[in-house]
Amino acid sequence: MGKLWVISIASISILLPFLCNAFSPESPTDRRLLVLLDDFAIKSSHSIYFNSLKSRGFDLEFKLADDPKIALQRYGQYLYDALILFCPSVERFGGSIDYAAIIDFVDSGHDLIIAADSNASDLIREVGNESGVEFDEDPSAMVIDHISYAVSETEGDHTLIASDDLIKSDVILGSKRIAAPILFRGIGHSLNPANNLVLKVLSASPSAYSANPKSKLSTPPTLIGSAISLVSIVQARNNARILITGTLSMFSNRFFRSGVQKAGSHTKHEKSGNEQFLTEISKWVFHERCHLKAVNVKHHKVGETDEPALYRINDELEYSVEIFEWSGTSWEPYVANDVQVQFYMMSPYVLKTMSHDKKGLYSTSFKVPDVYGVFQFKVEYQKLGYTSLSLSKQIPVRPYRHNEYERFIPAAYPYYGAAFSMMAGFFIFSFVHLYSK
Amino acid sequence: MAREKSSKDNAQALFHSLRSAYAATPVNLKIIDLYVGFAVFTALIQVVYMATVGSFPFNSFLSGVLSCVGTAVLAVCLRIQVNKEFKDLPPERAFADFVLCNLVLHLVIMNFLG
Repeated sequence: MGKLWVISIASISILLPFLCNAFSPESPTDRRLLVLLDDFAIKSSHSIYFNSLKSRGFDLEFKLADDPKIALQRYGQYLYDALILFCPSVERFGGSIDYAAIIDFVDSGHDLIIAADSNASDLIREVGNESGVEFDEDPSAMVIDHISYAVSETEGDHTLIASDDLIKSDVILGSKRIAAPILFRGIGHSLNPANNLVLKVLSASPSAYSANPKSKLSTPPTLIGSAISLVSIVQARNNARILITGTLSMFSNRFFRSGVQKAGSHTKHEKSGNEQFLTEISKWVFHERCHLKAVNVKHHKVGETDEPALYRINDELEYSVEIFEWSGTSWEPYVANDVQVQFYMMSPYVLKTMSHDKKGLYSTSFKVPDVYGVFQFKVEYQKLGYTSLSLSKQIPVRPYRHNEYERFIPAAYPYYGAAFSMMAGFFIFSFVHLYSK
Repeated sequence: MAREKSSKDNAQALFHSLRSAYAATPVNLKIIDLYVGFAVFTALIQVVYMATVGSFPFNSFLSGVLSCVGTAVLAVCLRIQVNKEFKDLPPERAFADFVLCNLVLHLVIMNFLG
């Protein structure tokens, strides 16, 4: 009886990991999100955003940022697939989360949304720095725009700005155009121009600057114009996605519901573009969109089907790979005409664009170059907004065997003729020499 | 004037004496000389061909030229050794050496011809 019980417990515990509905390579959309808040009032003041996430199937867990019981991982397993930091003023996280834990979380491929604000703590600024953006150093600075501010009944200090300077990318922002400007009030950040993984999604207009709205400017501000990024994204090399923004109020119900009129324009939009913008970009961040996988790399000689262990120089070969895109619920064939394969040994000897058959199978054929050595089939695909594909398969290439060279070359017939005529001449001469007196 | 005339005369006299001396060589040596001339002529044709068309199957070119040059060299050796004034070997032995060396030469040529 005891033995039976032990066996049944053991078998159930072996099956348990498969029952977990978690982020996995088979289903890359995140499932469990941990939302860290400064206080629970944010949960109700930003309820529209959280409800939209819940309605798309995410499991949200709301915790205070200094709750002593929070943890990202237990016994080496991550408990959540993504982290939302809506706690701009937290000085120290509670529980076992700290700066290093968050960095490890992202390094292991999980996604992150960081919202700073005008009272952002050093910790949040450091997390932003690690992700590749630099918030304005002045702790009381906010983004001010005296030309593109949002018109409101009270004469404000123009810190509430209406921005529509969006990145032009359908894959990140969805195919439907965001008609209304987006309301923003908070701090701006700048991107390091040498960093090619971070992108500005929403930038400030050329007339914006970052300064303390309550005091007079003594020196020209350092962060000005379109260099100020209001919302940025990072796609890391391990395909973790990070969204960084300098405002928490952009996600709030008040901004979602309010109408917006940009100063200087006559159109008054009934609803700001915040909800559509944030919904679409969160779809991108949580891998509901633009996630690629490449499977079934195959190569073979033209005319054969099995994969040889090595090729010979000047062989004709065919290479094929299947690429799928995650649509949120299933893997659909990925359709593009700029996927290229390289035949690489220290530098690409052959670089060819692959053609597809509309079902996700990309293939091309080419001739092995006249150089022998150990080559690699490399597919390095990096497209804006998509996960990067980096495939590499090694294959040796041998030179000709001694019996594979060309024979009876027409250009060499005179030499063949000369050699044979020498033989015939020798034969005739030896007869003549022997039998002449 | 007299110098020029005498040098021209000298050249002519030299040429005539060479011709008459050569006419006095035995017939079999003349046959060997003809054979050598044939080999060198074939080599020259091949070099001219390579100069015009290019050296693409270089191994074939080398093999063809080597067969001609090797044949010429072995024939010259035979001519030296078969001469009545050469006392070191009997002429039969010289001819046997010639045949063997030619066999080796043609074996190598066939292999290298590609």
